[in-house]
Order: sequence, then structure tokens, then C-alpha cells
Amino acid sequence: MGNKLGRRRQLVDEKYTKPQGLYQHKDVDHKKLRKLILDSKLAPCYPGDDECGASELEECPICFLYYPSLNRSRCCLKGICTECFLQMKTPNSTRPTQCPFCKTSNYAVEYRGSKTKEEKGLEQIEEQRVIEAKIRMRQQELIDEEQRNLKCRDVSSSNSTVGAIETAAPSYNLVMEGSAVEGDEIVASQESCTVPVTRSVRPRQNSSREDEFDLDLEDIMVMEAIWLSIQENGRRRNPVYVEPAPEEQYVAEEQCSSASMAPAAGSSSSPSGGLACAIAALAERQQMGDETSSSYQASMSAYNMMPGCSDRDTVHFPAMGSSVEMSPDMQLPNATGDREWIDDNRSEIADVGTSYASSDDVAQTSIHHEDESGNFQPMGGPIVPESFEEQMMLAMAVSLAEARARASPPGAAWN
Amino acid sequence: MTSPSPSARKGLSKIACNRLQKELVEWQVNPPAGFKHKVTDNLQRWVIEVNGAPGTLYANETYQLQVDFPEHYPMEAPQVIFLPPAPLHPHIYSNGHICLDILYDSWSPAMTVSSICISILSMLSSSTVKQRPADNDRYVKNCRNGRSPKETRWWFHDDKV
Repeated sequence: MGNKLGRRRQLVDEKYTKPQGLYQHKDVDHKKLRKLILDSKLAPCYPGDDECGASELEECPICFLYYPSLNRSRCCLKGICTECFLQMKTPNSTRPTQCPFCKTSNYAVEYRGSKTKEEKGLEQIEEQRVIEAKIRMRQQELIDEEQRNLKCRDVSSSNSTVGAIETAAPSYNLVMEGSAVEGDEIVASQESCTVPVTRSVRPRQNSSREDEFDLDLEDIMVMEAIWLSIQENGRRRNPVYVEPAPEEQYVAEEQCSSASMAPAAGSSSSPSGGLACAIAALAERQQMGDETSSSYQASMSAYNMMPGCSDRDTVHFPAMGSSVEMSPDMQLPNATGDREWIDDNRSEIADVGTSYASSDDVAQTSIHHEDESGNFQPMGGPIVPESFEEQMMLAMAVSLAEARARASPPGAAWN
Repeated sequence: MTSPSPSARKGLSKIACNRLQKELVEWQVNPPAGFKHKVTDNLQRWVIEVNGAPGTLYANETYQLQVDFPEHYPMEAPQVIFLPPAPLHPHIYSNGHICLDILYDSWSPAMTVSSICISILSMLSSSTVKQRPADNDRYVKNCRNGRSPKETRWWFHDDKV
């Protein structure tokens, strides 16, 4: 026997080379198990923790306990603690054991110690993709729901109040959706640098939006009235709906190696893209008003920075300077000149923007305008949103803007 | 239907208890869409309300699932049945037994109550016709002594619904 030089032999406390009694193991070859653990072929049988605690522990997806390190299945790299793994082998079965996660036969695990940072990053990206898929699913549900509601509305078109009540909920949901997609956008830009994402940001944003869009029936009806009058004016002047989704956005996304993100971002912009522009522009005009009236383009590009603003602090990701450089490459080819302005006004703008529109929508808008830059042509005429939800949101933005306009004289001309 | 199933007679093991508590907490934070856990103090038997998905044959209908956990959950599958009245579905017998592979042969300890629920709702949603399985009467008669669906030798032949 004797230890061969160079052989990897982990220093594992003797007591962790045998099961801790999580299960009543039958047919376990304790000698073999001990050897496998000492040879680092299997994770040590540390006692599982009930809670994650402050330290970096991994949860075993079978027993839901936390461990310093887990074994990985060869087929799908899913983690499993040694004691749960021992349970997977059905001793009396002649059939090869299936992987409990992906059902591949001949289930086998390997042990590579604690997860590296890269592995954790990849895993989180995977999780994000699952979340995105769920969001897309939910969006589809909402669209279906919306269509059903629209049908109901057609039926009872003589009574517009009924329509307003029925569609109030989907409109609210649409906003929630927007905030979630905003999170995805953050991932898309971070992915190229394989930096883990902090998930804690999202719930906070959600809850704040919830408060803001908790409207009562009367408000909705007033908004609808405002909207209808605007819509009528708008139709007379420019009946064409401008779709603000330029190709550049998609190209940019592919460049940062997240082609799979494109559908999510794309789909999120189409239902409310034009609306987001309108809201953002209106809010912005009121907020900036006289001080920065000349830099319409600059302020639009600043919106693009917003996805990061709330996040960067928690992620310790790029320092402000570098992130500004990074974003233009991916989304804003022409915006580099405005950096100082952005830095100075960032927080203020963020307040305005995040509360009204999902910022990736706005980001798309900004590109749209820069394409036609030179003659700042903000919205290409009045926007006629297609769905009732959008109309209501726009109406809300307009009434808000009007209220503010009364307080301060407007700066740059809107049309 | 209220008698304890054979698999649930023994209490939960420590690990089963721990896992179920965590699953319940996770459920409360993030319940699967369309399901509602009916609060009881019995961790070993969950009763879950299912709402038929909008736009499907079961829209606006509500059913109840009863989930009984064996001592060695999750190494062993839970027993999942519909409480009467069970939905009319080609894979759901009138006694509430469900012909769904993940509840029996294809169970994996990596699955959770939540994932089971999603599978069942998906099964309901993909149905194109509201009818009982062809062998319903024969099967239900055979189960009259209170046999658990886990003792049935199921044939899973239809992967469409």
C-alpha cells in the first residue's frame, strides 16, 4: 500500500468518511465508501445544515440540506450529497440506475470539491434562463388573457366602463412583467463577462411598482377619458403607429453572446415599446425641463444606463466608468460623448425612468432616435398604442405630465 | 377515501419531515400557478386545490388533490389522487386515481410536490376530450377494497395527453 507521491488525497476527518445517519442505509460497503471519500472520489459525509447561513454552502436537491460541497452527476452536472447518492442505487434492481435529474441511465457522479466561481456563475445563468422562460410563459398567458378580455369588451362595447374594469388587472400585470424583463436585460449585459447576478434586486423593484400602479377604478376611468381625447387628436395628425424596435438591438444582443436572450427582450418591447417611449419622454421632459433642454439625445442614452444603476452597487460588477464604456458597445454606438452628463444626472433620471417604464424598452427607443439623429425627432408623431392597456398607461403618463407642466414651463418642444 | 393509505400509515422519517417543511415554505413563497394548498397541521397529507387553466376544457373548474407522503419520501413517491368528484379525463379514473408515470415508475426524488402539480395541470390542459378511461369501470371495481394507486401496475402508453 503506502501513499504514492503526487496522488490527490484529501485530508478528511475520519468521522466524515461514513454516513451521518441521514438515511438507514442498507448494503453500504463502508470500507469502499471510506476509501472513495479519502481519495476525493466522493464528497465527505459532512452533516447537512438546515440553513444556508452566511458561508457558501450548496443545497442538495434531494434532501434540501446544505453542504460545503456536493458530488456532480456526470450526465447533467447536478449536485447531490453523498448520503442521498447512496440511496439512489437500488440494490435489488437489475436495471441500471437512472439519473434522478435528467433520467440518463448509468447514473454516475464525480467529485470536484467546492464549486468554482465560474461554475456558480454558469449555474446562475441557467437559473436566469429558467426564470426567463417562465416570464415568457406568463407573457403568453397575459396576451391570451388580454385577447379574451378584448373579446369581452367588444361584446359590451356600448358600456365602456365595463371594459375599463375588466382590463385593469392585465394592465397592472404588464407593468410587473416589464420589471422582470428589466432584470433579464441586466443579465444579458453581464453574461458576456460571466459575472454572477444578484437576484435580490428584483423583488424590491417589483414591490415598488406594485404600489405605484395600485389604481382605483375612478383613476382608471379618468385616465381612459384623457386617453381618448388624446387619441382623437393624434389620429387626426398622424395615423401611423411607429414600431420602435430597430434591428440594431438584436444585432447588439448577439454580439454579447446571448442570442437566446433576444426573444425575451424583443417580445418585451413589442407590447409596450411605443408606450414606454412616450412615458419616458414625457416624464423626462418634465423632470429635466429647462436645465438640460438641449440634450435630449443625451438624456435618452442615460436611460440606457439605468438597468445597472440599482444593480451595480450590489454586484460589485464593473465600476461606473467601465460599465459606461461597455454599454455603448452593446447598445449605444453613438452615446459615448455624454458620459459626464450621465454621471452627474444619473440618480435623478433613474428615479424618473424606473418608475414608469422598463428600461430596456427605453434603451431600444434611444437607438431608434439616434438612427435618425441630427434632427431630434422624438417620437415620430403621436403614438397610437394598439392595446387598451397601453392606452391606459399612456393616459396616466400624460395626466401626470400635465400636472407637472402646470408647475413648471416646458423646455424642449415635444413635437 | 379518508382512510390512511397503506404507504402513509407510518410517520415521516426525519429527512422526509425536513424536506416537506422546506417544500411547504417554498410553496408559500412561490406557489405553482393555479394551485392552492389548504392549510392543515398535517404535514403528511396535503390537500391542494387545482384550478383548471383558462382556455382549456377545465377552465373555471376547481378540483382537489390529496397528496399522502410515505415514511421515506422523497426516496419513495407520494400517493396522489383526486378527491371526488375527479375531473373527467382519459387518464383519471372516477375513484380519483391518476394514470401518470411520474407518480409511479418514473418518480424521482428530485421531483417536488410543486413539480407534480405542474405535471398534473399540464396533463389536464392538454386533454382534448372530457371522458373517463376506457377501462374505468373494471379498474374502479378492482380498487373497491381501498387499494392505493401505487399498488396498481400501470401501463403508460399515451404520451399525447
